[in-house]
Amino acid sequence: MLAGAPAQSFTLTRTDGRSDALANYRGHVVLMNLWATWCPPCREEMPTLQQFAREEAGKVVVLGVDQGEATSVAAAFARDRGVTFPILVDEQQQYGRTYAALGLPTSIVVGRDGKIVRGVDGAMTLAQMRAAVAGALASTR
Amino acid sequence: MNARTTALLVGAVAVALVVAQDVQPGYALYHSWQYALALALAFALLASYALAARGGRDGVVGKRLLLALAGAAVIDVAGLASGLLGPDTATIGGAPGTVVPVPALAAAAFFPPADPATIAHGDAAIVVRRRGKPELTVSGGGRRLLGESVLSLDPRPAVYLQAYDAHGAHLTITQPTGTAFLSPVLLFGAAQRITDTLSVPVDTFSTPGEHRLFRALYFTPKQLAQFPHHVGDLTRPAVILTASDDAGTSLGIAITQGDPVTLGGVTVRPTLGTFAALSIASAPDTWALALGFVLIVLGVVWAALARRTDVEASGEEREEVDPESAEGRDAGRHRQHA
Repeated sequence: MLAGAPAQSFTLTRTDGRSDALANYRGHVVLMNLWATWCPPCREEMPTLQQFAREEAGKVVVLGVDQGEATSVAAAFARDRGVTFPILVDEQQQYGRTYAALGLPTSIVVGRDGKIVRGVDGAMTLAQMRAAVAGALASTR
Repeated sequence: MNARTTALLVGAVAVALVVAQDVQPGYALYHSWQYALALALAFALLASYALAARGGRDGVVGKRLLLALAGAAVIDVAGLASGLLGPDTATIGGAPGTVVPVPALAAAAFFPPADPATIAHGDAAIVVRRRGKPELTVSGGGRRLLGESVLSLDPRPAVYLQAYDAHGAHLTITQPTGTAFLSPVLLFGAAQRITDTLSVPVDTFSTPGEHRLFRALYFTPKQLAQFPHHVGDLTRPAVILTASDDAGTSLGIAITQGDPVTLGGVTVRPTLGTFAALSIASAPDTWALALGFVLIVLGVVWAALARRTDVEASGEEREEVDPESAEGRDAGRHRQHA
């Protein structure tokens, strides 16, 4: 993970059909979560991620990026789990490749300046999510 | 063979040895002690002649040739330095969209993202970035010089994969044993021996959503021609795919040159082509080479003018030449040749 490097962005379709990209959230602290429906730790982490997104609304943007699956599959999963944060559908796995994900889930914290702050391999607890973004919230305030 | 001819010959051989690093980079020979010894001996011979010529032993022509020999010596030293101190020949591979450090250049190689068209055309360019310096783009067919290194692309077999389930829904491709876990591009970092004389690139990938593991063998057109039976278009490469489930049970085998194949309920659409690795080899410093060649040209032209003047003078003022002077000896030699 290239901490300090500009976070690369790719424009993709969201599960709600809109076009979106990481770059659209410049100026916000972003917790980008790479995941897939077939990945058991991703499924387990998703409710916690939803809770974190709700609690940190206005301070942190949670952006899900489904890796390699069809929009219909990712959308059905998000709907069933009550996920309300935006989810990009990355069929060509561009984000996963670029951010050198070693597995799924992988989370990347991006600062308000659009630079990578840190990456986290594996599922996180709520406390770990708060800790992961704390530095970015403090340093770019 | 007199001393001047020997010096010119040695200079020419030394220059040729050094220029070879630029023309045919990558040979381990350039880093060998034999190569270094040859250039060191050439330098010593050039220096020996230069000392004698400087003392006037080879006349005006010899003195003027010192400029050209200095040029040859500059090139000789540049070649010696790049052979001894330049980076060993290396090939840096990376998955599309990844960044790979290149310690030998104190740089990082940025491998561009690739889509099926990029792989099919094999036209991806690699960008080399160094802190505080302009970036360098290495593209197909071209070579770029960077200090004492020459950079070029080394096209490698690659396959871009797209996979779908029985309903046509796109599936995640992973490479648990590859350099990039979430890359849908196979780079075939290993080889598998098929027969005593045939070894082919091999790679693996999985579609975890469907619990399928695939193995891919890449065959060049030339390798396909060795098959005893018809296997398709012999002008294009092909891949043989085998599929198994989580328990290792074989689910089938198929050969394709790009058409979708269905194995174990998963349809795989491969795009065959190449994705380049970055090849790094030592090369003599460009400025030193340029300076050396300028000196050689100036020195040779200057010496030729002196020789012409000598010949004319020897014809018109033969009686006035002092046979004991260096110029006289030089002119005397011309007369003997004439």
